Amino acid sequence: MDVALLKVTALLYLLGTGTFIIYVALLRDFFSRVSPLILLAGFLLHTAALGLHFFQAGYPAVTELREALSVYSWVMVGVYLFVQLKYRLTILGCFVAPLAFLMSLAGIAFGAGGGELPPGLKTYWLPLHVTLAFLGNAVFALAFAVSLMYLVQEYRLKSKRMTALYKPLPSLERLDRLNYIFLVWGFPLMTLGILTGSLWAGAYWGNYWSWEPRQISSAITWLLYGSLLQGRITAGWRGRKVAFLTIVGFVVVLGYFLWGDSVFPSRHAGRFE
Amino acid sequence: MNKEIVIVGLNHRTAPVEVRERVAFDNSLLGETLQCLRALPSVQEGAVLSTCNRVEVVAATSDREAAFEEIKKFLLEQESGSGESNLEDHLYAYAGDQAVRHLFRVAASLDSMVVGEPQILGQLKDYYVAAQEVGSVGTVLHRLFHRSFSVAKRVRTETGIASRAVSVSSVAVELAKRIFDRLEDKTVMLIGAGKIGNLVARHLQRSGVSSLMVTNRTFERAVEVAAQFRGNPIRFEEFPRYLKLADLVVGCAGAPETLLRPETVEETLRERKQKAMFFIDLGDRRNFDPLINEIDNVYLYDIDDLQAVARENLHGRTGEVRKAEEIVDEEVAGFLRWLDSLDQVPTIVALRQRLEEIRQSEIEKSLRTSLKGLSEKERQAIEDMTAAMISKILHAPISRLKRPLEEREEALYVEALKRLFGLEEK
Repeated sequence: MDVALLKVTALLYLLGTGTFIIYVALLRDFFSRVSPLILLAGFLLHTAALGLHFFQAGYPAVTELREALSVYSWVMVGVYLFVQLKYRLTILGCFVAPLAFLMSLAGIAFGAGGGELPPGLKTYWLPLHVTLAFLGNAVFALAFAVSLMYLVQEYRLKSKRMTALYKPLPSLERLDRLNYIFLVWGFPLMTLGILTGSLWAGAYWGNYWSWEPRQISSAITWLLYGSLLQGRITAGWRGRKVAFLTIVGFVVVLGYFLWGDSVFPSRHAGRFE
Repeated sequence: MNKEIVIVGLNHRTAPVEVRERVAFDNSLLGETLQCLRALPSVQEGAVLSTCNRVEVVAATSDREAAFEEIKKFLLEQESGSGESNLEDHLYAYAGDQAVRHLFRVAASLDSMVVGEPQILGQLKDYYVAAQEVGSVGTVLHRLFHRSFSVAKRVRTETGIASRAVSVSSVAVELAKRIFDRLEDKTVMLIGAGKIGNLVARHLQRSGVSSLMVTNRTFERAVEVAAQFRGNPIRFEEFPRYLKLADLVVGCAGAPETLLRPETVEETLRERKQKAMFFIDLGDRRNFDPLINEIDNVYLYDIDDLQAVARENLHGRTGEVRKAEEIVDEEVAGFLRWLDSLDQVPTIVALRQRLEEIRQSEIEKSLRTSLKGLSEKERQAIEDMTAAMISKILHAPISRLKRPLEEREEALYVEALKRLFGLEEK
């Protein structure tokens, strides 16, 4: 059942990807209004599918990478819809929609069923830890997207290649401010994600910090984003430098999320003993 | 004897601003200047045009080479002060169709620094009126100037050129909106009082910019311009101190030296905590060091950049200049046809012919009716008498036309004759 729902969800994300691309190409208002709605429909179905899994299994579908990807795309679309509501940044959908489509595709590609979870881990720590960590990551994904847009826009302005004054890209000032807003939101979420994970580990395994590769990579990105935020607030960092560092930070997160677990076996990769 | 148009002068392409300034005509002495010009032996009609981008002498002459020489000398005499460069190296001289085309292109703003800017036509009209008041323009230049005004009008209405000048300032606004989220909370500093700078500042203000600082080498001018924009005048020596308050800096000063160096801008940026700055350089010599664009969070566009962006963004407008040039070509041909027809020889011939025709047809008519049955001798007498009458009637006007002293009015008389006797249709 939830797989069927996930398939429809993926289709809606694909449709949304299409309409966002048409929006960028034609800049018709119609597509800028309808595209977020399509993503919203996808998000609701996605919610239903994940909710179904949660009630059937008793824990969120995050025990395997493909499941985690699906949940991650769900969180990201959710955050995007919130941002769209608050800041009207339709063009961000061009980044979110295709990513959500690919991730949700991974979620259904390998059929149903997830890894078995030791009963002791089936606590509320799991949804709490996963939700916070994913929320933080999703916000950083958007920070990554606006930073990428910043660099593109900045390059075009500096090199004077404003061939088509290119309406959908927001102003540098706006992109820079959104980068700040996303950092301000993303950093506490990430901090809480790490904290809950550590507390949970302390409660279950007895030690709060075990120098797992995932923990180390999280610590590195946490430091990176932390100093970025610090630099922004106290030293007045802004613009290209911040955009560039944000992108580096996210690439580390994403890279580890996708490949790290298969290289370094760990508790995050299904080894719970 | 045929008249032609000659133009001698210099413009923003051939001469830097300090050379242009050296020969710029003093407008308070314009009457005398025009008198002097007209007093030149080879110049039958003359007018001048002196804007910050060009100084030109337009004349009608029958002796192109002599006119070139005399007008060049005339311009050299206008020169106040001296510089390293020789004025003569910056002068161009056009005659005939080239001169006509040049003036038409100037009027249509095709020769302007910002192609399509509308001010030049008004300036041209002012200088024409001044020449008219002094009486230094005659039939040929009257016609030439009026044609140039209508060329300008045609180009403006039939092509999209006029919107291009606007687009330089609207491109500046568009770019500002790519850098800044909103302009309402931004401050503009306007350096110098160049026209394009004013235009851009006005456009920015219309787009929401509320705060404006104006600085100028002469403080009174800064106060004047600031009043126009309801902005704050700033002393020129102090403007770098105020730079940190400006988000947009529009430079349109005719300064020969660079006003802002990268070090100053870097320092300013530190003071404003790296908040982005947009420099718009509209000076005909660069006001800002191009290296400023290399600084993080700083964007520098000069007029060429703005025009390049404008060009690339105006789809279908690329053909507009060509269309305008076609209009100019058409009008040049029309004017030259008219000028040719002003030549006295064909006019005299045509006049004689016209009267002869009348004479012949009247004699024929009379001989067929009221004077039927006249003897051959009597007929001959009537022939001789009427021919003599025509000849007597024509004597005064033709000798007047041919008299070299009255050469300047030749065109006027030729034109008058043609109109009075309906010779034009022929």
